[in-house]
Amino acid sequence: MSVKVRLHPYLRKFTSGQEVVEAVGRTIGDCIDDLETRFPGIKRRLCDEQGNLHSFYSVYVNSSDGFCPEELSSLVKDGDELIIVTVVPGG
Amino acid sequence: MSKTARYSLQRYERQMMIEGFGREGQEHLKKAKVVVAGAGGLGSVVSIYLAVAGVGKIRLIDHDKVKLTDLNRQILYEDKDVGKGKVDSGKEKLESLNPEVMVETVSEKITESSVLELVDGHDLIVDATDNFATRYILNKVAVNRDLPFFHGAVGGFEGRATTIIPGQTACLKCLYRRAPQPAVIPVIGVTPAVIGSIQAAEVVKYIVGIGDLLTNRLLIYDGLSLEFMVIKLKRHPDCEECRHLAGSRE
Repeated sequence: MSVKVRLHPYLRKFTSGQEVVEAVGRTIGDCIDDLETRFPGIKRRLCDEQGNLHSFYSVYVNSSDGFCPEELSSLVKDGDELIIVTVVPGG
Repeated sequence: MSKTARYSLQRYERQMMIEGFGREGQEHLKKAKVVVAGAGGLGSVVSIYLAVAGVGKIRLIDHDKVKLTDLNRQILYEDKDVGKGKVDSGKEKLESLNPEVMVETVSEKITESSVLELVDGHDLIVDATDNFATRYILNKVAVNRDLPFFHGAVGGFEGRATTIIPGQTACLKCLYRRAPQPAVIPVIGVTPAVIGSIQAAEVVKYIVGIGDLLTNRLLIYDGLSLEFMVIKLKRHPDCEECRHLAGSRE
């Protein structure tokens, strides 16, 4: 599956400033692995040593009527759009 | 016309001139009872703008005391307030800014067991807290009591905001499935200024009944790149908090 990934500004240093990049994979996790092959270091920023998404990042996946946060194991479809953003907790 | 009525007409003249606002909108604000949960960076900005807009009653909740490290962003307080209870200093400042506003203070922690009593009798809740554990408690009571919930969060130069109408929009649990670990967050004062102002604007719009709310949309503000991004949201089909509610999932 081929998807578009929109990156939070903090992650664009890995993509030479590109906000939207293409990725391929069956799941969100696969797509992040694919990004890592072309943009080394991005997975380390997003995931811990066990490969789990850090709690201060969220991946939102579109559907016809809006985005929802999903897990790395969630399946993606051709043409999906993923948005990776940081979660900020302060007040 | 009484002296008080003349005073109010002048005090709020410029906002009552806004199309769709008028005296009626101002009356709605006067009758409103609002909970501001948290009197930190966001709570300072939200409560100040709600007070000067003429919201009738603000219940300000925070169990902390003012620290010197708060003063770069928590504009309710000054050096002389360091060591005092936030809500006490906050009430003094807000009532000085607008003597027409009733500020009720609660200096206690928001917990599962206290939250129902804390929000009882109020029209809406503003999320100005600094941690997700408390946000989830407030989200749950908002969903179960059908109270609009105005979310804001900040870190560094970044902010987030969304407006939650239970049963109609994505709730906080739809939006954040997992909470980040609590931590001391770096933040510059202008970030809660931006996000708190947006939350206050949403509350005023909701009460007055004008404009389009930031519902089913997550506003992502990045001050360093100066970008505002809006993600269209939908209710999560597996949301543990709000999936039992009927209503549109659009």
